[in-house]
Amino acid sequence: MQDLEKPVANPLVVLREEFDDWAVLFDPDTGNAFGLNPIGVFVWKRLDGHHDLKDLVKDVREHFEDVPNEAENHVQNFIQTMAQRGLVGCETLK
Amino acid sequence: MTMPVMRTPRSVDLAITNRCNLRCTYCSHFTGAGDVGQELSKKEWLRFFQELNRYAIMKVTLQGGEPFCRNDLKDLIEGIVENRMRFNILSNGTLITDEMAKFLASTRRCDGVQISVDGSVPITHDSCRGEGSFFKAMQGINCLQKYGLRVSVRVTIHKHNVLDLENLARLLLEEIQLPGFSTNSACHLGLCKQNADQVQLSVEERSLAMQALQQLNKKYNGLISATAGPLAEGTTWLAMETAHREGSEPLPERGRLSGCNGPMSQLGVRADGVMVPCVQLSHMDLGRINHDDLGEVWRTHPELTRLRERRSISLNSFVYCQGCNYINYCTGNCPALAYEVFGQVNHPSPDGCLKRFLETGGRLPRLSDTNQ
Ligand code: SF4
Ligand code: SF4
Repeated sequence: MQDLEKPVANPLVVLREEFDDWAVLFDPDTGNAFGLNPIGVFVWKRLDGHHDLKDLVKDVREHFEDVPNEAENHVQNFIQTMAQRGLVGCETLK
Repeated sequence: MTMPVMRTPRSVDLAITNRCNLRCTYCSHFTGAGDVGQELSKKEWLRFFQELNRYAIMKVTLQGGEPFCRNDLKDLIEGIVENRMRFNILSNGTLITDEMAKFLASTRRCDGVQISVDGSVPITHDSCRGEGSFFKAMQGINCLQKYGLRVSVRVTIHKHNVLDLENLARLLLEEIQLPGFSTNSACHLGLCKQNADQVQLSVEERSLAMQALQQLNKKYNGLISATAGPLAEGTTWLAMETAHREGSEPLPERGRLSGCNGPMSQLGVRADGVMVPCVQLSHMDLGRINHDDLGEVWRTHPELTRLRERRSISLNSFVYCQGCNYINYCTGNCPALAYEVFGQVNHPSPDGCLKRFLETGGRLPRLSDTNQ
């Protein structure tokens, strides 16, 4: 995950949990909002600079049932998309 | 039938002041339940903004009275920014300076400032708002535009400007090149109640305004919007009339008191810190900010639940609506206006009632004049 060894959620971004386990990520600087499904919410809450991709996928598998084999790709894509939008930064491994 | 309710409101309307430098003759604030004669200190608002942050509120709308009357407005806005929210402001525009506009733009969190403009010339604008207010409002708009802020003008239609709508649209859309503007009309709230004869539209004037606004909106390709007042009514009522004429199936969500979605996603706070479902429902005290927990009020307050559940009440259950041809296509309209007339929110409002409008001589716009 090139630059994103241990991703960190941008603390300025607001996580709004709305209905059930679904949520919206809101960037107050741009006004943009993105919908998150329950797995996205779960991953987002672990973007604290202490979990790498392997940890995140392991946690997802432990927490949710019927996680598909390609979960690692999905989580990686999710983080990279968030990073491109400026919602996630990183603590690179030295 | 219960609708799912989000965990916290998405936006909150804040009456940050009870003061205003004007006394518009149709103002819905003064003499209404929101006119509380006091306002909270900066410290209290800033503390509340922290709670809004914790509950992930995305946006606040600053209103009053006149928000720019507060000398500490910049501090309040800085508190909003620090607490991860965006904001917009409802204003009469007369106190906005170049320096204030520059500050608002510098925050990069301002979604827009809504300025009230009621006429194309001082005589119509100032008729209800007071001498000199037209030029000051125009100056305010100019300052906001200079710094690239989004200006959204609101036109309140009343007896003295109903014949000025064409010139007003030309001023706003062609001369000062706004991307659009919205309209409503002086309605039976606050000061308007005591000045109704001088300001509120008669049925004939309402019919004229409806027709004129539909034609203007056609001319300007839908750049004029409305959620209340003659433009909104003209559109809704024409659709109801067409549905009735064609014997259409009941429209979704209609036939019940479904006219208000506010309490599904937003909350209001009066200038004294009392939480209310909407600033137009300021008599409904839901608790006090910094004393009562906003999340708990939002999820559990019985009055709020009752208001949300009003959409399950059939219009057939009201004597007022019995025998009405439009019942399957009607929402029963705004509860705040129903409260003003009947003293209860769970009632259809006569202000938005098509049957009553037609019975008292009202005319709908021609379909050919609409933007449809
Ligand atoms: S009470 Fe009336 S003004 Fe307030 S949100 Fe409901 S419909 Fe809108
Ligand atoms: S009487 Fe008025 S409020 Fe009632 S259903 Fe008919 S149009 Fe709607």
